[in-house]
Amino acid sequence: MNIWKEVLGDLQKQIPNSVECELKMMHSKSALTRFANSHIHQNVDEESADVFLTIHKDGKTISRSKNITGIKSSKEFVKEALDSIDESPKDTTWAGLTSKSESYEGFQELHEANPEERANLVRDFVKEGEGMNAAGYCSTYLNNFFIWNTNGLNSSDTSSSAFIDGIFRTDTSAGSSHRGAVNINNLDASQTGKEAAKLAVDSQNPIDIDPGKYEVILGHEAVSTILVFLSVYGLNAKSKIDGMSPILLNENQFDEKINLIDTPEDSESIGFKIDASGAKKYNLEIIKNGVPSTYFHTRRTSKELNMENTHHEFFGVDDYFGGIGTNLNLDKGNVNHSDMISSVKKGIYINEFWYCRVLDPITQVVTGLNRNGSFLIENGKITKPIGRLRFTQSFIKSLSPGNVISVGDKSRYADSEFGEGMLKVPKLHLKEFNFTGGVSG
Amino acid sequence: MFDLLNIAIDSAISSGAKYSDARILVSKSRNIAAKNGEVENFNESEKIGLGIRALVGSSWGFYSTYDLSRESLISSGKKAFEIAKASAVVSGKETPFADVPVVQDEYTTPHEENPFKVSSTEQIDLLVNSTEQMKKLGSSRSSGRLDFWDTEKWFCSSQGHEIFQNIIESGGGISSLSVGDGETQIRSYPQSFGEYRTGGWEVIKSFEFGKHTQRLAEESQRLLVAPQCPEGVMDLILEGSQLALQIHESVGHAIELDRILGWEAAYAGTSHLELDKLNKHRYGSELMNIVADATLPGALATFKYDDEGTPAQRVEIVKEGIWTGVLSGRDSAAIAGVKPGGMVRADGFSRLPMVRMTNVGLLPGESSLEEIIESTDNGIYMETNRSWSIDDLRLNFQFGCEAGWVVKNGKIIDMVKNPTYTGITPEFWGNMDMLANENEWVFWGTPNCGKGQPSQIGHTGHPASPARFKNTRIGVRG
Repeated sequence: MNIWKEVLGDLQKQIPNSVECELKMMHSKSALTRFANSHIHQNVDEESADVFLTIHKDGKTISRSKNITGIKSSKEFVKEALDSIDESPKDTTWAGLTSKSESYEGFQELHEANPEERANLVRDFVKEGEGMNAAGYCSTYLNNFFIWNTNGLNSSDTSSSAFIDGIFRTDTSAGSSHRGAVNINNLDASQTGKEAAKLAVDSQNPIDIDPGKYEVILGHEAVSTILVFLSVYGLNAKSKIDGMSPILLNENQFDEKINLIDTPEDSESIGFKIDASGAKKYNLEIIKNGVPSTYFHTRRTSKELNMENTHHEFFGVDDYFGGIGTNLNLDKGNVNHSDMISSVKKGIYINEFWYCRVLDPITQVVTGLNRNGSFLIENGKITKPIGRLRFTQSFIKSLSPGNVISVGDKSRYADSEFGEGMLKVPKLHLKEFNFTGGVSG
Repeated sequence: MFDLLNIAIDSAISSGAKYSDARILVSKSRNIAAKNGEVENFNESEKIGLGIRALVGSSWGFYSTYDLSRESLISSGKKAFEIAKASAVVSGKETPFADVPVVQDEYTTPHEENPFKVSSTEQIDLLVNSTEQMKKLGSSRSSGRLDFWDTEKWFCSSQGHEIFQNIIESGGGISSLSVGDGETQIRSYPQSFGEYRTGGWEVIKSFEFGKHTQRLAEESQRLLVAPQCPEGVMDLILEGSQLALQIHESVGHAIELDRILGWEAAYAGTSHLELDKLNKHRYGSELMNIVADATLPGALATFKYDDEGTPAQRVEIVKEGIWTGVLSGRDSAAIAGVKPGGMVRADGFSRLPMVRMTNVGLLPGESSLEEIIESTDNGIYMETNRSWSIDDLRLNFQFGCEAGWVVKNGKIIDMVKNPTYTGITPEFWGNMDMLANENEWVFWGTPNCGKGQPSQIGHTGHPASPARFKNTRIGVRG
């Protein structure tokens, strides 16, 4: 038994038989080596151990969390919660605890990466852009999660991940790239640096183009942002309950080339194999041939909507935010980058979106900008780098039937507006995307 | 606590660090959310831990832990040094570090009622009643939230600082969402995502939620049938909280010295401002006077010392439209050759302190909102933020608001929905021609400013009163 199970064991002894209770612990070691102006300027390392206690009694629920230094004694921590539960209002959406049969034992003793390993990857990235200004980070994470409840559930899991992400800048341009993996040894920082450097070099001295509707080819990060918005605001069952979801189940809402799967069971998937309720997660079709088949559910949302629980409860915040898909995989297509470009008579290539915000949740009209590598495509060739454009576009319509011309043949982990390690995506070629402003506003 | 901090700092210095400082924090939070007359979330949390940083050559090394044992503190100091030292693989010029007065002091946020000593039942009831009222008045989804933070912070440096601060923050808000045929409309009070200040339960009581529930419920429903905001170039009048966010995004981030120096280039971005233009660059019209003031009583980013031990202060940022100042820390100020501004803070013990906005506000003008509207022939008055987006140089922005009103010949004549406006920072601020006076000057607070890697959430303040901007592009839609 490891030390964390011992801490939870001490707390379990304080729980009276008369209540339903869930005890969770997240132990994390995370580190991030950050570079700017082509040298490492900030280098951080953190170890945390947080305990989450939820008690349900007589129709009322109370939640408390402390890190283990904040817990003066197990008895006192549990007593404080029990003493306060009468002040809590009725919890009408309580959906119970995960059953004992869902128990999963995934804890592993893994070693964290060290700062020298991260620094070496930063060096490999930076040297690919000789003479340019490099900035970015290399990060590593090691997380252990333990959960016990009064139904007899005992689940645990361990996840590790590592990322390299950076940009190169010239006086007039920038280019970026990103990689993620379960293990730092699987990151190719040189290749990531090469891609970013090429985009920065090729983007120099951009021209301004008029806003309007353009055919677009979207890079991995741009595609990732569209999908993470659909995931968080649309596929989240809580959005459906709140009347804010644009997702229409079992309808041909998206182009038939859109196939989205949640793949927590895959060995290369980053993150835990269980959700925050302690239940095992399973690979799940989310959108098949353009037809959405489910929302991301928690215990509460599945009860409220009377739908099957998909086990997407998020860590650390109970299920206030609803269900979030964290292993999303957009199916690859069969068109390579060159063929995508050569098929465009007039259009735009966008590497990455920036600062995207929803104007209306139901239509998923989002505004944002391009950055770190954008180009005009004319007669099947990239002809000129282009400057800043602002788009105002429904992300739902961007993937609607007929608007997806092709799907790229290579997929990778891509960064997104809501973080990294959640989406593996290919490039997308879209028929139309609405740009509403340029450099001059 | 100071003894514990000095154990860690001594360890970092004896390992070879040029400078080291450390913080121990006891951070308590209470978060309550209600929806449609029922509690949706009620959570209390407490975290205790240490964060120590060490400066070696060109890099900061930072280590944080929950373990405050003597053995762990010694190990933490060594780790901070070793992490910084590992940066030598890709090193730059040695980072300079400006001196500030070495002080031993303490400070507690002035407050009347500690929100953690107020019954949670009273706080829950406030939200339950407010959201229940709005639901009964036809809101499709009424919601409300309250957040309280009580942060005890001990800070020591290898130069001899010993500072204790207890910062108490309170805030929250209510909103009514109405769902129509393929659209949603929302109205919020005091502003979208709530209003936050330093202070206690009295902050929440001053909001008087009950006086605003009917208006929010009615306006969110009225917006569903309101016409779309017209498109075109016309006058824009911004209500104070929206102007506060405009300041945050197009001024506050742009003047952060770490961004100007390129330290945030890969993520948050840089700035359109260049240091050689300081005291020369025209940021806006002569009505534009911006100050960063961490000493304003009750504003959200008010404290006595920042997380580097630099005293809180008032720094002039824009004077009569000319850019005159930056937000800085001890390292960035030394590089730029300016005085350290006391603007470095961290999101808890486990994050590296970084340049953060304090209370970056627009000083009031001489008009009243009534006079601004009366003198407008053709424009839109916009209230309460709904969306915000700006490029990574802080130049090209687009904002959406919850509600708009058409102003014709000096009178408000019609409510319009989905109002948006877009612009380029210096042109937009250059077009500000009327500014409301101190009677309508409010210390707006932003509790959700994201920056840094690993990600940090900052609490910033933005005093503002309503203002008018000529010739603004309005009504951008997808």
